[in-house]
Amino acid sequence: MIHRVLAVAVGLVLGATAALPSHAYEPTTSNTAAPAQSSKVPYSPYVGRAYPTRPYFGDTHLHTAFSMDAGAFGARLTPRDAYRFARGEVVTASSGQQARLSRPLDFLVVADHSDNMGFFPDLFAGKPDVMADPTGKKWHDLILAGQGAQAAMEIIRAFSQGTFPKALMYAPGTPGYRGAWMETIAAAEQYNQPGAFTAFIGYEWTSNTGGNNLHRNVIFRDNGDKASQVEPFTVYPPAGSDKPQDLWKWMAAYEQQPGGQVLAIAHNGNLSNGRMFTMVESFTGKPFDRDYIETRAKWERLYEATQTKGDGETHPFLSPNDEFANFERWDFGNLDASVPKTKDMLQYEYARMALRNGLKLESEFGTNPYKFGMIGSSDAHTGLTAMEENNFFGKTTPQEPSPHRMMATFVDNPKTRIKVMDWQVSSSGYAAVWATENTREALWDAMQRKETYATTGPRMVVRFFGGWDFDKGDALKPDLALTGYGKGVPMGGDLSRAPAGKSPAFLVAAMKAPIGANLDRVQIVKGWLDARGETREQVYDVAWSGGRKPGKDGKVPAIGSTVDVVNASYTNSIGAPELITVWKDPAFDAKQRAFYYVRVIEIPTPRWTAYDAKRFGVQPLPGTQMTVTERAYTSPIWYTP
Amino acid sequence: MTNRPALAAWLREPLLHFLLIGAALFALYHYLNPGNAGAPREIVVSESQVEALAENFAKTWMRPPTAQELKGLIDDYVAEEVYYREAIAMGLDRDDIVIRRRLRQKMEFISEDVTAAAQPTDAVLQAYLEQHAEKFLQPPRLTFQQVFFSTDRRGDGAMRDAEKLLAQLDAGRGPPNPIEAGDPTLLPPAMESATPQEIVNSFGSDFADAVERAPVGQWSGPVRSGFGVHLVRVDRRDAGAMPTLTEIRPIVQREWESDQRREVTAELLAKLRSKYDVRVEGPAAGLYGSAAAGRAGGGVP
Repeated sequence: MIHRVLAVAVGLVLGATAALPSHAYEPTTSNTAAPAQSSKVPYSPYVGRAYPTRPYFGDTHLHTAFSMDAGAFGARLTPRDAYRFARGEVVTASSGQQARLSRPLDFLVVADHSDNMGFFPDLFAGKPDVMADPTGKKWHDLILAGQGAQAAMEIIRAFSQGTFPKALMYAPGTPGYRGAWMETIAAAEQYNQPGAFTAFIGYEWTSNTGGNNLHRNVIFRDNGDKASQVEPFTVYPPAGSDKPQDLWKWMAAYEQQPGGQVLAIAHNGNLSNGRMFTMVESFTGKPFDRDYIETRAKWERLYEATQTKGDGETHPFLSPNDEFANFERWDFGNLDASVPKTKDMLQYEYARMALRNGLKLESEFGTNPYKFGMIGSSDAHTGLTAMEENNFFGKTTPQEPSPHRMMATFVDNPKTRIKVMDWQVSSSGYAAVWATENTREALWDAMQRKETYATTGPRMVVRFFGGWDFDKGDALKPDLALTGYGKGVPMGGDLSRAPAGKSPAFLVAAMKAPIGANLDRVQIVKGWLDARGETREQVYDVAWSGGRKPGKDGKVPAIGSTVDVVNASYTNSIGAPELITVWKDPAFDAKQRAFYYVRVIEIPTPRWTAYDAKRFGVQPLPGTQMTVTERAYTSPIWYTP
Repeated sequence: MTNRPALAAWLREPLLHFLLIGAALFALYHYLNPGNAGAPREIVVSESQVEALAENFAKTWMRPPTAQELKGLIDDYVAEEVYYREAIAMGLDRDDIVIRRRLRQKMEFISEDVTAAAQPTDAVLQAYLEQHAEKFLQPPRLTFQQVFFSTDRRGDGAMRDAEKLLAQLDAGRGPPNPIEAGDPTLLPPAMESATPQEIVNSFGSDFADAVERAPVGQWSGPVRSGFGVHLVRVDRRDAGAMPTLTEIRPIVQREWESDQRREVTAELLAKLRSKYDVRVEGPAAGLYGSAAAGRAGGGVP
């Protein structure tokens, strides 16, 4: 209300001498102010090629105060602040301390929850409509009284359990909602600088029925002129729906009118309690039909395989022979901790098993619904995509750096006895995208073709090519990409029609971040559908540092650790800065469907908890994980007979 | 800043905006709520106020209130007004954290709206551009090639091998494509028109600093990075340039607005605060110096 009154008042005061600002957002079709590039012919024959020459790093999943839960947790930063921070500027965090990245990111998607987008700023401001509702008033008062975390938990629970007050819903079509969406777009337009920094327009669709996480982030390829013609798809009926099929319909409609392009990225299958990657339709329990399979494959080309709420690559129960599988696990139950996890759910929750099951579904339906590439992102609710272990600004505002976060409880449901501590929050991750240039179009196109990988934080460079003609010598040539693209397909690509008697060979290379820890090893994870129609997996060590000899089981021995937990330090006296090799599948069967992806393992380093313990001089709780083996997962290359 | 017409400068004075807006709000409030403008002991429920009550009722119940119900609404409104005035008189608002924060919020919103209302002229932005040149300076750009010698593969030999190749190249006896004398790597063999930040992103800052100083048009080095040893050949170095306001106006305006929001908020608080004599007592008084407690923290949000 005060804003509306003020507009009038300001008009009264300044109307005679100064033009009133127009708050209305006017989309532009072209991006302004890109630094002019001269069109000279490159000096070196090595540059100016059509293929991507460097990975761009960013975050496809960041919340600001526009997300109702983030706001309730205490986030005050807006999308504009979020873009400034990602560009490398100093920003004052909601907790009042200054924050800055060690180096700028290349791109960012502010993906605020579409349901009730913009509700929080109005709740915080005590808008009359919100205050008229007893629950709204209660939340407002809780927040003002400094009990935002409790309000946040109540809001999330109410939303998950379908008891969110109808009168409070910020639904598409309402002025409050429209305003928030227009501001989201305006912020992205203002900070998008093609060639220098990409600010994507996007949102998160938050299907959470029964507390089971089926969330998707929707990313626009387009500028504001198209995105502003629609409003995000929501979950609450009647405008919204909790069924992914309905989100895909929304996406298809957007492609028709106004004729733009969007893609959807799911995340946190680990909190879906067996619903993210099912083998039957997750809502009805009915067998899949061809339409579901094909539609999912069309719209969901990437999966967010690592983030603050746990890693999603695989689980020790599913991959008992994988000594690196037990990593940053969040496997206690569903998102709101209302239902504990049972072991039978796990097979439908993790990326690797989904890739395996996808092969099975493909053999049945002719299309693989789980043929996704990998990215990592933060899902931070702070407006700050700060996922470095020694510069971690937490998942929510109460988890911003302080002596308390080592001790604090994040989730506590006495009914289910599920308790998650703040120390369990993972400082992860980022998305790496092999694009030809840093623009919305080029990055989006690379995501669409799955030429991406996930990292748990460090900005390591990973190349992965598959083909039939790679040989050992290719790993010794100075320009690896030229060879890779020339003789094979990059990550996210497809192989088929195996030449008689040939096995696929892979050119794989990984390089540590310029300021970062060395690499322990590079692995290729193979999944396949065997002759009996069962899915299988095998992890191969393909390149590693030092002179280690693989044991009888074929595994390279552990590298050891240089981590000094007390001093939160490590040295690069073990590991290698760069690992390059060509690997040929020793057990290839041309009749069997398969996928291959790369996992890069760093040497152990101090986890954010170790940096905190040192900096704040606090004693960690028993059981606190103090070291981390950071990693990267590439999109697979699939073989189809 | 100094060349601006005096009137314009005067109009951009945030405190003035604040006061004028305050006055306008006050006038507007009394225009919209004539019922409350009576004598201190008088409560007037105006016709428009009654209409508003009835309308609100109708929104909930989908019908107008009966006479009885309307009277109930009016009684309730009067009760609220009575309680409100008495509570304020008793100072009940002062120790209520919710009310205090709510009122503070309202004040902060006013200063935010002041910022949003200001439309900068070209002259203002030009001055901002000049004052913050470092923000807008287009960075220098380097075009270079590099040959990589891996310390992981060659150990101490990496440095020797790099020096050897450099000597050959200096003597004009180097291979036609020196890059092939190096080790395979994911590092780019060349970068074209790269900014210092882009070079840091790929090679780290030690390498970036070294190529910044390297001579143009010849091989030089060896240069160390976190990966190994390099020879570099800078083929072109473009100095950074200052863009004109026309070229980057939206960016300058964005940055100006961002700064302005911070400054106006801080300035308003400082000016309002200067009306008060702030005294901090007890051991914490030491945090504010001995005498001038009144200036404590003023101006910093």
